[in-house]
Amino acid sequence: MYKEKTIPVYVKAIEQENEFIRRFTLASVNEELLPKFSGGAHISTYIEHGELLVRQYSLTSNPDDTKHYQIAVRLSDTSRGGSRYWHEKMKVGDQLQISYPKNHFPLSFKAKHHVFYAAGIGITPFLSMMNELHSRGSSFELYYASKTEEACAFYDFLQEHYPNQYRFYFSNKRERINSSSLEEHPIGTHVYFCGPESFISDLTESAYQLGYPPSAVHTERFTPPQPKDMQPFNVQLKDGTLVEVARDQTLLEALLNKGIKAPYSCRVGRCGTCELQVVEGEIAHYDSFFSEDQKQSQSRILTCVSRSKSAMLVLDV
Amino acid sequence: MKWINNLESFPYPFKGSTYRYSNNSIPMKTPLCVEVTPDYIEEMQLKRTLLNHHAERCYQSLPHTITGQWEIVELVIDHLAAQYPDQFSVEKKGSKWTFNNKILEEKQEFTFGGESTFPEEPLAFISRHVQEDLILMMQRDGDLYLDAGQLCFPANWSLAFNLGMKFKCIHHPIPGFKEEGLDDRILQFLMRLEAGNPWERKNWSLMAGDRLDTSLETFDQWGKLRKQVTKENAGELVHIRVEVQKLFRLPRTNGILFTINTHLLSLENLVSNREWLKQFHDILSELPPHITDYKGISLYKNEVLKYLSEKLESGKVV
Ligand code: FES
Repeated sequence: MYKEKTIPVYVKAIEQENEFIRRFTLASVNEELLPKFSGGAHISTYIEHGELLVRQYSLTSNPDDTKHYQIAVRLSDTSRGGSRYWHEKMKVGDQLQISYPKNHFPLSFKAKHHVFYAAGIGITPFLSMMNELHSRGSSFELYYASKTEEACAFYDFLQEHYPNQYRFYFSNKRERINSSSLEEHPIGTHVYFCGPESFISDLTESAYQLGYPPSAVHTERFTPPQPKDMQPFNVQLKDGTLVEVARDQTLLEALLNKGIKAPYSCRVGRCGTCELQVVEGEIAHYDSFFSEDQKQSQSRILTCVSRSKSAMLVLDV
Repeated sequence: MKWINNLESFPYPFKGSTYRYSNNSIPMKTPLCVEVTPDYIEEMQLKRTLLNHHAERCYQSLPHTITGQWEIVELVIDHLAAQYPDQFSVEKKGSKWTFNNKILEEKQEFTFGGESTFPEEPLAFISRHVQEDLILMMQRDGDLYLDAGQLCFPANWSLAFNLGMKFKCIHHPIPGFKEEGLDDRILQFLMRLEAGNPWERKNWSLMAGDRLDTSLETFDQWGKLRKQVTKENAGELVHIRVEVQKLFRLPRTNGILFTINTHLLSLENLVSNREWLKQFHDILSELPPHITDYKGISLYKNEVLKYLSEKLESGKVV
């Protein structure tokens, strides 16, 4: 299975940003500089706690100053262990592994003006994006919704650094981000949404209705999960041949063992070479290659990592 | 780039008994973007001559690539100093860097990230110290663009022509590439490339002659040899050309560095390995016309096949 390279770090400082949010400063274990990153980047954190907890957090520190990284973690009500661990167990000095910075939420290059819409902890990716635009001298604005002023993460920081570029919306004061603000942006504006799912989908829909081209609407996307426990399944080929895929075997391995000339290259779900057509059955996608739409169409499988949800898959080979 | 006589270090590109265009990338085991081989001095001379005399053809860049260029300088220097400490070193005092190339006995001080520290751009500077060609692609608004590059040993393409071009347009002339949907898939793959997890792939073609600089601009000088191939001279004249391409995501700009190391091996040398001879013969005889055409092999494919068959025959124990 594909295992990305990781960097060993330790927790250098912990600050309580507000009731629900803590900021963590991470530094490399051997005190080396960490990789620089681009606006909107995040890392995966790996914490060993009975099981391996892998979580993604946006980097909120300065992309050019990488003596350390900073992330902000909100204690989630529905935490399955990740944010709970960060809040209740993590101490200064603790070590963990992190990924290299990745960016699934990059700034547009051609935008004339950038507008960020954040709700709650959704502010985090925008901090590095604003930093980058600010140092380039590009124009941007922030619309930021929070329950209250007290719960508003980075409130002081934003006032200090970008005094003319933000608008806050506090729901306890009955202020709401209204999609009508989308109508006010000049031509050539790109909008970026980050926050709870409903916040993102409502704004996205409004933006499309107003005629924003899809390429000018940006939302955050996260990496797909890895299979937890692998189940055996069967596949059927065009000529009726049945191939059994054992628990500890990939579909690709099973096909090759049968002497079927299945294509492949990377074997880790990232290059797309091993794609086969699926005629019947439900696919469990574990690759990092297909787009959401491609996955949902349930018509193609990457045999080197993906498996079947149904007992049988019928392949077009 | 190198002319190889030593089979062990040859990046043999084939698997199976057929070849089609595909994304044959694999994760890199040792993440090194450049290599230093015994031919270092000789190749640097050749490369620098080309860079000095054909600057336009060998170096191009767009102005927004400077930060990405610095990332390349950092990656290359760090790899050189870590992997070849006896040949290269770097001293960093804040942004004051001193790079020492002990092979060429050249020492360069500069301000990292600073403007006008070199007489040329950062990418141009570092490319004078490595054997590889270096290409920078920037990811902008959901697409990849060739925005800067130093290219001395192109396989029949042109840097000036492709500058600022979208990835898919660069590959447009490859027949079958688009139809098979491969350009989309490779683009998708490249856009998902992650920092810290570099990939490599091998690309092969055949050529008549042993010229490394097969740019479009010099076609008149090397194209005609293709008509002179016979089964008698194929072993010596025809070379297999393998590009080892390495792909690194640059975390600061989210750009992608391609390093290309070109290797040439004469067929004579290739077929001295029986297994390779057999496999290469199978692959070449099965190759469909749209691939032979694109690789420029059609003119002399039959002569090469005759040569290979004879070799196969003669090796048989009766
Ligand atoms: S072999 Fe690369 S995605 Fe399956």
